[in-house]
Amino acid sequence: MRLRKTALFAAGLLTASLLAADGKIFPYSYVQEDLPNGLRLVTIPTDYRNIVSLFIVVGTGSRNEVEPGKSGFAHLFEHLMFRGTAEFPPERYEAEIQNAGAASNAFTSDDLTAFHTTFSKEDLPRILSMEADRFAHLSFTQEAFKTETRAVLGEYNKNSASPSEKLYEVLRATAFHVHTYQHTTMGFLKDIESMPGEYDYSRQFFDRYYRPEYTTIIVAGDVDPKRVRSLIDERWGTWKRGSFKVSIPAEPPQTAPRTASIDWPSETLPWIAVAWHGPAYTDTSEETVALDAIARLGFGQTSPLYQELVIDEQKVDSINAGPPTNIDPELFAAIARVKKAADLPSIQERLITTAQGFASKPVDAKKLEILKEHLRYEFALQLNNSESIASTVAQYVALRRTPETINRFYEAYARLTPADIQKAAQKYLIANNRTIVTLKSTAGSK
Amino acid sequence: MKITRGSLILACVARIAFAAPRVVELPGKSPLVTLRFVFTTGSASDPAGKPGVAHLTGEMLGGGGPKDFTWKQIMDAMYPMATSVDVYSDKEMTTFVGETHRDNLDKFYALMRDMILNPGWRADDFTRLRDDSLNALRVSLRGNNDEELGKEELYNVIYRGRAYGHENLGTASALQKMTVADLQGFYRQHYTQANLIIGIAGGYSPEFLARVKRDFAALPEGTADHFDQLPAPEAIPHNHITLIQKDTRSVAWSLGYPVDVKRGDPDYPALLVMTSWLGQHRQGGRLFTRMRELRGLNYGDYAYIEYFPRGMYRFEPEPDIARHQQIFQIWIRPVEPPNAVFAVRLAMYELDKLVKKGIPDAEFQKTRSFLSKYINVLTKTKSSELGYAIDSLYYGTPAYNDYIKAALAKLTVADVNAAIRQHLRADDVEIVGVGKDTDAIRAGLLGDGPSPVTYNAAKPQDILDEDQIVERFPLHLRPQDVTVVPVATVFEN
Repeated sequence: MRLRKTALFAAGLLTASLLAADGKIFPYSYVQEDLPNGLRLVTIPTDYRNIVSLFIVVGTGSRNEVEPGKSGFAHLFEHLMFRGTAEFPPERYEAEIQNAGAASNAFTSDDLTAFHTTFSKEDLPRILSMEADRFAHLSFTQEAFKTETRAVLGEYNKNSASPSEKLYEVLRATAFHVHTYQHTTMGFLKDIESMPGEYDYSRQFFDRYYRPEYTTIIVAGDVDPKRVRSLIDERWGTWKRGSFKVSIPAEPPQTAPRTASIDWPSETLPWIAVAWHGPAYTDTSEETVALDAIARLGFGQTSPLYQELVIDEQKVDSINAGPPTNIDPELFAAIARVKKAADLPSIQERLITTAQGFASKPVDAKKLEILKEHLRYEFALQLNNSESIASTVAQYVALRRTPETINRFYEAYARLTPADIQKAAQKYLIANNRTIVTLKSTAGSK
Repeated sequence: MKITRGSLILACVARIAFAAPRVVELPGKSPLVTLRFVFTTGSASDPAGKPGVAHLTGEMLGGGGPKDFTWKQIMDAMYPMATSVDVYSDKEMTTFVGETHRDNLDKFYALMRDMILNPGWRADDFTRLRDDSLNALRVSLRGNNDEELGKEELYNVIYRGRAYGHENLGTASALQKMTVADLQGFYRQHYTQANLIIGIAGGYSPEFLARVKRDFAALPEGTADHFDQLPAPEAIPHNHITLIQKDTRSVAWSLGYPVDVKRGDPDYPALLVMTSWLGQHRQGGRLFTRMRELRGLNYGDYAYIEYFPRGMYRFEPEPDIARHQQIFQIWIRPVEPPNAVFAVRLAMYELDKLVKKGIPDAEFQKTRSFLSKYINVLTKTKSSELGYAIDSLYYGTPAYNDYIKAALAKLTVADVNAAIRQHLRADDVEIVGVGKDTDAIRAGLLGDGPSPVTYNAAKPQDILDEDQIVERFPLHLRPQDVTVVPVATVFEN
C-alpha cells in the first residue's frame, strides 16, 4: 500500500487555528509505504534543516513476553541490538555512529521497542545500511549475552532507588494476574536474575519479532521521500519476513477490589496509587479520550482536587493520573505523593471519590472545551524539532502503525461530549475493577 | 545570534555594570516564541547562614502567584495555552523559561512578566514551596535517587567552606528557619537590570521585543553579582572517600576534583575532547566500553568537565547553568556490592592510564570528528539554541557551535594530551559512594589488598590479565581517608 498525503501548507507551519485545512492536527505531509516483505516506511519532510531523525519501531514490548520466567526480554533486546553483527561488530558500529556525530539510543515500552538516531542528512545512506545489517544479522556470543544481562540488572538496580518504580511494579503485579502487563518493561527481578541462562531463548525471541512485518521505519527531517524509499528498497528489501503470531492471554474481568502495601526501607514520603482496569486503546469510539479527559480534568493542575490537596490543604505534593493507551486493556491510574502517612486513608478516599464523581455528574461543557483548546496547543508545542516529530509519531505508530492515528485520536477528542465521559466512568471506574497500592517508609522519620 | 546592549566578548562579565539588561535575540519564522529571563545570581550569592534563599526566591516567583493573581488563577489562565513558566537555579544563574504559540504571546507574556516583576509573596505559596524544597532535598534527592545524591555530595565535599559548598536547594535546617522576608531581601538586591539577560527566540515582532525591554526596565538598575574572583576550593591533599550509608541494592560512585578550566578558556576544547573520549551519557566511550560493555559491571560510566545535573534523565546538559568554577568528574552508575570496590579501582586505573599515556591519535581524530557534528544536536531546539547563546554571552565566547567547531579544527592530539597532563591526575581525588554495607566497602578500600571481580561469563585473557592489575590498583587510603556518613545527616546542616 502506498498512501500519499498532500502537503497542506508550506513548511509545516501551524495556522492560527492550529488545524490544517482538512481539520487534521498533524501538520506535516508524510509518505507511508509498505515494502513487499512487510516493512513499513513513513517519511516526514520537516522544515528543520540539515538534521534527520530515524526511529525504527519494532512492534514488540513487554506485552509480547508470554512465556513464564521470560519477562524482560524485549527490553534486553533493546540492549543486545548494540552487540553488533559480523560486518559491524560493536566497535565498528560505534565508530560509524561517532563518525556521523549521531545521537543514538533506544527505548522499550509495553507495546514497542524503538531504536532512534539523529544525525546530519549526508549520513543517511550509511546509517540506513548499518541499521539494516543489525536488524537482519544481529550476532552475539554467549559471553556477550551474559555480560549484557548484568548491565540490565545494573539498570534495575539504579531504578530500584526510586519508590515510584516499586509502586508501579506492585500495582501491575496486583492488578493483572494473567495478561503480560502484570510485569513492567524491566521484567520481574527473578527473571532478570535468571536471564544469563537464557541464551537460546534470546535467539528465539529475536527470530520471532525482529522481522519486517513487525517493524516500521520513521524518517523525519531534511529528506526527500523518493530518495529515502530507494535507499530503503536497496538496503532493507532483502530482509526476510517471519511467520510468528503471538497469543497473549486476556485478563479475566476483575470481580472484587484489590489492595497491596509496600514497606520502603529508606526515607520517603508515602505514595498511593488507585487504578482501575480500562479499555484497549481506541480511536473509533470515545472511550480512550474520555478517560484521558478524566485524568486531566479530575487530577491535573487546574482540577479542583489539585487545588484542594496541593494548593489549599497542602497535604499532597504531587498528583498524576493517566489513562490506558495500550494495545490491550490496561489501567487508568491516579498516583499521589502524600506528605503525612496519617493522611493516606483520606487521600485514598478523595482520589476514589473524584474518579467516580465523573460517573454521577456530567462535566461542565465549557471546561471540556478549554481542555480541547489546551490539547491543540500542547500538541503544537511539542513538535519543535525533527526528533520530537519522529518520536511523537513513533508512539502512535506503536498502536496502529500509521501517523494517521494522531489525527484519529484528536478527532475522537473533537467528538467527545460530557455524556461520553460520564459513560466511560460508569463503565470502568467502579469498585470491582479497582486496585489500590500504598507505599510507606519504614526508616522511621516519615 | 544577535546580541544587543553589551559587548560581545567580555573577559569578565561580572565586573561590568550595565545600564540596561543585555538581550539575546534569535528571530525566526517559527510559530512558537521562547522567552528566557536569566538572572546572573544564584546559590553562590546566598546570604551567610541562609543557604537556599536564591533557589526558593526563584521558586516563589515561578511557582507562586504575583500581586494581582493567585497561583490558581495563573494556572487557570495558562491552561488553555498549554504553557507554563519553568524556573531553575544554579550557583550563578536563575532562569525563567516559557514557550508559547504566537497566538497567545501577549497574554502569556503578561502573566510571565508579572510573575517576575510583581511577586505576590503570599504566605500559603511560601509554605507550599518551602515544603517542596525540603522534600526535594530530603526525599527526592537523599531518599530516592542514589546517583544524584552521590554526584551532588561530591560537589559539596569539594567546595566545602566556599560559596559553591552547599546544595542549591539549601540545607534542611536553614529552610526550616527561612522567612518570606529573607526572599524579599534577596529579590531586592539581586533581581536587577545589571544581573538580567533577556533571551527571545522565534516568531516575535520588533515591537514586542521593545515592549519587553521597556517592561523590564522597571527593575532597579543595581550592580551585577561577582563570581569571577571566588576563592578556589581547598586543595585535596590525598585520595579521600565519603561513604553515605543508605539501605540500597547497589553502590553508586562519583569521583573528581576541581579543574581550573571553564568554557572560553584555552584548554576547554581539549578537555571537552577528553571527556567525550572517556564517554558521556549514552554515547559510549572508553569508560562505558571497559566497565559496562566488556565487564558488565553496571548500566554506564561517564565523565564531565561541566556541571550536569539530573544526568540520569537527560542525554544533553541543560544550558544556563554557567559557572566560573568547574570540576572534572567520573560518574559510575550503581554497581552490585561485591564488585563495588573493583569498579571504583577500575575507574581510577583508567584515569591513571589516561594521564600517563594520553589519547591515541586515531581516537583523537574520531572523537574530534564526532564532536564537530554532535555539537549541532545540543542546539536542536530554539529554546536550547537560545540558552546556549545566553551562556556564550556570559562566558564571553562566540556562539557555542561556532566556538567549538573552530577550536576543534585547530586542535591537535598534542594539545589534548598536554591539557590532560596539566589538568588531570589520578591521585588526590575526592570520591563519594552511596551504599548499604559501608563497613565492608570501607574494609575493601583500606590497606590496598586485592578486591577481585566476579563475572557470570567467561572473559578474554587480556581482560583477566588486566583485572589482576586493577584489583590491586593502589588507592593508598589510610583509615582517616574514608569517612562514613549516615544518609539522614546529608544536607541537614
